[in-house]
Amino acid sequence: MSELPELVRGWIGKAVVVVCDTVTVEKQSWVTFCAAVHDGNALYWDEAFAQQHTGSTIAPPAMLPGWASAPEWYPGKQGDGIRPMELHFMLKEALDYPNGIVTSVDIEYHEPVRAGDSVRVEQILREVSDERSTRLGPGRNWIIDVVFRRQDGVLLGVQAMAFLGYRSGAVDKEQS
Amino acid sequence: MNPELSLQARLPPRRIEITTKSVIMGAVASRDWQPLHHDVVWARSQGNLPDIILNNYTQAGLISCYVTDWSGPAARIGRLRFSMRSPICPGDVLVISGVIQEIEQQAELIWVVIAVALAVGERVATTSTVRVALPVTEDAPSVWQCPTMAWRP
Repeated sequence: MSELPELVRGWIGKAVVVVCDTVTVEKQSWVTFCAAVHDGNALYWDEAFAQQHTGSTIAPPAMLPGWASAPEWYPGKQGDGIRPMELHFMLKEALDYPNGIVTSVDIEYHEPVRAGDSVRVEQILREVSDERSTRLGPGRNWIIDVVFRRQDGVLLGVQAMAFLGYRSGAVDKEQS
Repeated sequence: MNPELSLQARLPPRRIEITTKSVIMGAVASRDWQPLHHDVVWARSQGNLPDIILNNYTQAGLISCYVTDWSGPAARIGRLRFSMRSPICPGDVLVISGVIQEIEQQAELIWVVIAVALAVGERVATTSTVRVALPVTEDAPSVWQCPTMAWRP
């Protein structure tokens, strides 16, 4: 079993990655997401209906984490830029796991996201397991807590994401 | 109008055919460019996966949509938990089902906890619990007007 590197130990309990002003939320983006999952909820589409409940149309809550993801390309981008769940990729690299998957998500939704908002995100490393054998190959599990706030500080959501980082092995095709 | 609420009541199941297009569309719309969601060669050779896989945001979107289509659009999801136990890939026929596990009144809200499963045949690929708020009566204020301090998802 390999020791957890000092660099990674130092990340535990800290907001290692802070991302803000990555994207300005706009309706057409969330309509595309609704189309992908066939979600016709009137709060996302219908201004008149939404007016009675939320004051204006809102973005689907399931999209909340996506508002912190930078465009795939932007002027002046260097290297990989800030990747979605950047801390997860930093862990993969620091621990030498080429692959990683999300195994579970626990998200609380607070204020809804609307067109014109931008989202500030803090990614905090909660814990990293010892290395173990998994069905995908040798790997470790880790949990990252993510706090989402609007540009004015209002709480939008709190998420705990559990990941598996692994090296491919000769195993079956189960996810984890 | 609220749906009829009783413990262990089952939500109507929903059948969804997963395609390469739907996997990629969900990933792109949720701004997720990881290759295991759009590049089958990468998914098989580098990811040790059978095909590209449905990303977690799209699964969250499918689960949320399933619940609010049942509850009505004015319902407000407070908390969504899900565990992805095995991949969902193009060609899979997904059946989403749900069972009411808890019903709790909090002032003018009713909190309902629903256990949701995403199954491919006999294989349960993802399990989830969704905590959703509904107005206690038709005349009650919208759950979206709940004061911030009283919102306890």
